[in-house]
Amino acid sequence: MNALQEKARELLATKTVRVVIGYGPGSGGQARALFVREAAQARELIFDETCLQNLAVYLMKPDVRQLGKAALVARPATLRTLLQLAAENQLEENSLLALVPGADGVLSLSTFSALEAQVASQDNELSVAEKSELEKFAAMGLDARREFWQEQFSRCLKCYACRAACPLCYCTRCTVECNQPQWIPVPAHDLGNLEWNVMRAMHLAGRCTNCGDCSRACPVGIPLYLLNQKLILDVSANFNSRSGMTAKADHSLSTFKPDDPEDFIK
Amino acid sequence: MARIGVFICHCGENISATVDVKKVAAAAARIPGVAHSVEYKYMCSDPGQQLVKNAIREKNLTGVVVAACSPRMHEPTFRRACAEAGLNPFLCEMANIREHCSWVHEKGDATTEKAVDIVRTLVAKVKKNKALQPIQVPVTKVALVIGGGIAGIQSSLDIANAGHRVILVEREPSIGGHMSQLSETFPTLDCSQCILTPRMVEVAQHPNITLYSYAELESLDGFIGNFKARIRKKARSLDETLCTGCGLCMQKCPTRRIPSEFDAGLGLRPAIYVPFPQAVPNKPVIDREHCTYYRTGKCRLCEKICPTQAIRFDQPDEIVEVDVGAIVLATGFDIKHSDFFPEYGYGRYPDVIDGLQFERLASASGPTLGEMRRPSDGKVPETVVFIACAGSRDPAKGIEYCSKICCMYTAKHAMLYRHKVHGGKPYVFYMDVRAGGKMYEEFVRRAMEEEGVQYVRGRVSRVFERNGKLVVKGADTLLGARPIEIEADLVVLATAAVAQPGAEELAQKLHVSYDTHQFFAEAHPKLRPVETNTAGIFLAGACQAPKDIPESVAQASGAAAKVAALFSQAELVRDPLIAVVDRQAPPVYSSCVGCFLCQSACPYQAIEKEEIRGRDGQLIKTVAKVNPGLCQGCGTCVAFCRTKSIDIQGFSHEQVHAEVLALLNRGERDA
Repeated sequence: MNALQEKARELLATKTVRVVIGYGPGSGGQARALFVREAAQARELIFDETCLQNLAVYLMKPDVRQLGKAALVARPATLRTLLQLAAENQLEENSLLALVPGADGVLSLSTFSALEAQVASQDNELSVAEKSELEKFAAMGLDARREFWQEQFSRCLKCYACRAACPLCYCTRCTVECNQPQWIPVPAHDLGNLEWNVMRAMHLAGRCTNCGDCSRACPVGIPLYLLNQKLILDVSANFNSRSGMTAKADHSLSTFKPDDPEDFIK
Repeated sequence: MARIGVFICHCGENISATVDVKKVAAAAARIPGVAHSVEYKYMCSDPGQQLVKNAIREKNLTGVVVAACSPRMHEPTFRRACAEAGLNPFLCEMANIREHCSWVHEKGDATTEKAVDIVRTLVAKVKKNKALQPIQVPVTKVALVIGGGIAGIQSSLDIANAGHRVILVEREPSIGGHMSQLSETFPTLDCSQCILTPRMVEVAQHPNITLYSYAELESLDGFIGNFKARIRKKARSLDETLCTGCGLCMQKCPTRRIPSEFDAGLGLRPAIYVPFPQAVPNKPVIDREHCTYYRTGKCRLCEKICPTQAIRFDQPDEIVEVDVGAIVLATGFDIKHSDFFPEYGYGRYPDVIDGLQFERLASASGPTLGEMRRPSDGKVPETVVFIACAGSRDPAKGIEYCSKICCMYTAKHAMLYRHKVHGGKPYVFYMDVRAGGKMYEEFVRRAMEEEGVQYVRGRVSRVFERNGKLVVKGADTLLGARPIEIEADLVVLATAAVAQPGAEELAQKLHVSYDTHQFFAEAHPKLRPVETNTAGIFLAGACQAPKDIPESVAQASGAAAKVAALFSQAELVRDPLIAVVDRQAPPVYSSCVGCFLCQSACPYQAIEKEEIRGRDGQLIKTVAKVNPGLCQGCGTCVAFCRTKSIDIQGFSHEQVHAEVLALLNRGERDA
């Protein structure tokens, strides 16, 4: 048994938590989410480079919440997500354990300050590869970019897998489901697809923690991460802030400040 | 089925000159749901309103669209008319075909078509309107007056005399403001302090007035009728209840050479001081920046000699929280000082002074005891040059406006100088003499014709020193711009009146708008000159724009009348055009997910958390709730809500969406 499996076994055996949400082997060389509820099952947990999913998404599901107190195997983006959820009043302090596997065993974090310290110590910047891809994209020019996205969105099926995979898409009623009035057309045609994807990107502006699950979930391979990462860079440049760094409410795009320079209003 | 009445107004010729109102009425009659469509010359007139009322009763209308002027003008008129005819007033909407159409376009088919489109959108909206009930909020009948100059004093006294409690907050150690610094006042030349100090004493003695001097507004929350103000009472460093104002401490204080603010820097004061002998309250403060004890840790002489042991060196600032229903802003003005003028020596010449400094030189309570002696060497000046419009009306200096008071006080200064120095030669350089006001022109004429004041029309280009004289170089534009040079002993600049430093910050604390010069903005330049755009906050005096004493006092009484009117009712009725958060039946309860991004977005702190609990007390959900008293209906929260769980009553998503669709589908209109 490795340290993570041992930790999970102990947490379940002592009934400290009722469920450990982690990764298990899946098909096609990919890991899949594993809900461990019995101590004996803990040996099925794995943690390697195939373990990519942001498991925080399950915390928002009512049936998972019913299972009782959870421990969650957390990657760097997962930790940012937990803090962002806390800032949005969706997570209570000490209501779960974040398990962070590392070289010296498994860290077990439950207070917001411990989560904040862990996030502050990790690398939260976009990678060099991510930044250079965005730069290349920005250099394409407006028309080329519009064409690119029209082509991409024309393949969108409106299956809403991106929404289902996103831990910050926790709304019980999504805008797309509002039909009085109907803001976003339901059929998967060009205009509706554009509206849906732009709306989702804007709803995540200043909130997205760059886990990348929306792009991985997309069955037709639309590179949604490009929109989110661009917004992360813009929010950081304009408001000097990054989502998922603190559990306190610090919403870049929705905070009224009387001393706001408002220099974007020309 | 909707039965909408459309009423199209000619507004005399304001609308009918460019819009074919008959065509609009005919087109409106064809819009589905419109049961009645008429045009009339003056819909806001009594017979016009009667048309609306009759149609509501006879045709059993479910909604009314009045196509006329801006809703800011006559919406209340027509909503009242609808209410009188038994229709909920919020089922009446204005279609603005005047400001948005007839006034801004040429006569033509396109203009008429646009008017039809505007009517079409409002018909689509009004079909989705819901009957709303006005909101009633209680009123705290206590007024907060900020600033204790003549405007603040007048407002406080008027409100207090109307029987309401007043809290007067003054930043300085004493009330009185700039008026207490003046020697005499125009156009009567009566002594400023003689007419002001009785009012100051009245404030101190009035049972309805609580005075917080040496205090500032820390923060303000709430809304009309229900403000919560936090006031910082700065530490005077003494126990006010023990201090008798005997003044021994001020006599013995060893730190005595501090420029006196009251004497505009021309006199000196000790570190423990009252600004002037008639100060209200007559209790000193310790100026901690200059006091020897605070700087070096040694001295405490005042503490030793105080007969009542009132000195408290360790006294902290105190925060007082008060509930008030209305606020009068009377924070006054400031002036530019001589250092603002490079051409007049950057303030380097001690004998180039500003108007307030001259007031102190002329005042019997001033540093020279009213003798006309110049600051540098105490000599009696034989020639004095007064320069009007120093900074004012000068776009190059960033002050385009007229400071309004300078023409009058410069004439007064020149006269006062002549009264004190009979052989003296006063010159006034001016651009125009603006003496509009009762007895003002006569006063200036008297200076020119009877008191021997030499008026020179022209601007002064430079003031510099030569052989102990101040050489004033200018031009006399009435004599063909002839260059003119005067050797003066004293130069008095009528410097521009500007907003108080910190006015912008205060305006932001109060959510009051202000102009580019940081003067507070009135709600309407002509018809609402004492109100701000924030309900319940009123303006008095020179914080709004430069004003003389009679104007400040008049506006102060006007503001007091507004406050008294507000306080005359037990409850305040507000339009229910506010945000509401979705509520629905179990098991959903609300589509709000409780992320509270709206809370930080709200400029009025109107969003609260509400816990929805089951019968067993178990928490089901925490959702947002809008405080109807605080909400101003700005809609910022609506824009941020991802789940569209917030709506503005009267401007709901459904209504606005219907308006947009009515415009977008105009191609499919019935021919």
